[in-house]
Amino acid sequence: MCRAGVQFERNLSTVIQLFHVTKAYGGDAPVLSDVNLRVEKGEFIWLTGPSGAGKTTLLRLLFCAEAPTSGQILVGGRNVNRLSQGGVPYLRRNIGVVFQDFKLLDNRTVAENVGFALEVLGASDAHIRGRSLRRLDQLGLRSKADSLPARLSGGEQQRVAIARALVNEPALLLADEPTGNLDASLTDSILELLFDANARGTTVVVATHDRALLSRYRRRTVSLDRGKVVSDA
Amino acid sequence: MMAAHIAWRLVRRAAVNLWRAPLPSLVSVLTIALALFLGASFAVGVLSARRLLQGWGAEPSVTLYLDRSTSDDEAKALAGRIAETERTESVRYVDRAQALQRLRTELGDLGSALDGLPENPLPPSVEVIPAGSPGPNEVRALASRLGQLSHVVEVDYGREWLDRIEVLGRSMRNFGSGALALVLTAALLVVANTIRLAVYARRDEIEIMKLVGATNAYVRTPFLLEGMLQGLAGALLAVVGLEIVQRLVIPRAAAAFSFAAGAAAPHLAVAHFGILAGAGAVVGLLGSYLAVARFLRA
Repeated sequence: MCRAGVQFERNLSTVIQLFHVTKAYGGDAPVLSDVNLRVEKGEFIWLTGPSGAGKTTLLRLLFCAEAPTSGQILVGGRNVNRLSQGGVPYLRRNIGVVFQDFKLLDNRTVAENVGFALEVLGASDAHIRGRSLRRLDQLGLRSKADSLPARLSGGEQQRVAIARALVNEPALLLADEPTGNLDASLTDSILELLFDANARGTTVVVATHDRALLSRYRRRTVSLDRGKVVSDA
Repeated sequence: MMAAHIAWRLVRRAAVNLWRAPLPSLVSVLTIALALFLGASFAVGVLSARRLLQGWGAEPSVTLYLDRSTSDDEAKALAGRIAETERTESVRYVDRAQALQRLRTELGDLGSALDGLPENPLPPSVEVIPAGSPGPNEVRALASRLGQLSHVVEVDYGREWLDRIEVLGRSMRNFGSGALALVLTAALLVVANTIRLAVYARRDEIEIMKLVGATNAYVRTPFLLEGMLQGLAGALLAVVGLEIVQRLVIPRAAAAFSFAAGAAAPHLAVAHFGILAGAGAVVGLLGSYLAVARFLRA
């Protein structure tokens, strides 16, 4: 299914590389300015900073929802600037994305939502169903497989969204404030899922402005402020 | 194998989408139906009008009025010469007595008024009907040639009528094509906008499809299939509407029409319905394509 030339190099030791990346909209002050970043395979990193620091924009650049104004971005060894419009989908099949607002389809069942990522790859119905159920099982949602998302709690919906992001065994998982809408008790269970995925080899980047998380789970932390990397430790 | 598999899924997706959101689909279907109905009615209207005009302009004849002193033999010889030299359908000599008799018949009850005339005032004439169906210019040329012949005093070929019908026919053709193009363009825009609203309601789905790595073609195909199905459904509805009009309205109008035009009223045949179905499918497809395009850019 992968197109030659846009294949995500899963064996590279470096998954993400940013060189002097700047992103600006129109004549406004840049949202990101001169960002350099290197993320190795198997890392788990926090991307933090106050609202408006550029966390979301950085993630959007990584899954090609936007293009940088200047600078180079390599994801899975591919220079996204040189990726054609037609190549973007093939890159994205190696990247799972999780949002604060879940982005589930209301008119599809939980299992269908999870299987959605496999559908576009052309997998058979039986294969999709089997893999979705297995993934839901791992996340403790097997019993909700045929419910509609609206019948689930916020924590359960986010677990479904994570199941969808992971069903494909992506090399890279990007999460934008995945616990932003959830209370503290649910936050830990969601983060456990992300740590699990990381333990199985997926590189994970989580954007959050919640400093309590950073101190509770010590991992490499990249701090952004007004579009610049202010610390990386 | 894989391709067939994906194709089947996309077709199924299109069907499910139509089923799950029947209202926006219905609006698109009705819009397309209305557009096609109006377009077809308009086309039939223009066609009828043109045929009516052709009926009026048909069978041009040229009448040569001869000098009243022309003898029967001279007139007959003239008619014979015309029949030999010109391409004619018929050449008929009408002597003065026949002309008077014809006038009497045309006047009907008033015909008796002619009895009071001291003498027959009508000139003898030769009526020439050209062969085939000559255009106005040919009739004009024929008339001027015949006007040169001896004994001919006056030539009458309904010139004003011919000229008028010609101008009317031309302007109707131009107006008809222009208006039809306008109606179809408007229909396409309305349909594209209607479908765009339906697509807009599903922008989340498009966003998520793109997020999980669906190609543009994969995202677009179900929408195109839906658009095509809506177009076909709209065409079917338009055909039903046109057929009803044809059954109920045209028979009543047809009698008046064939009397006026001397030809049968135009009416929609199976081939026309095929064209309508094709137009519906194309409008639906194109409308969907335009509607989805803007959501695929991100």
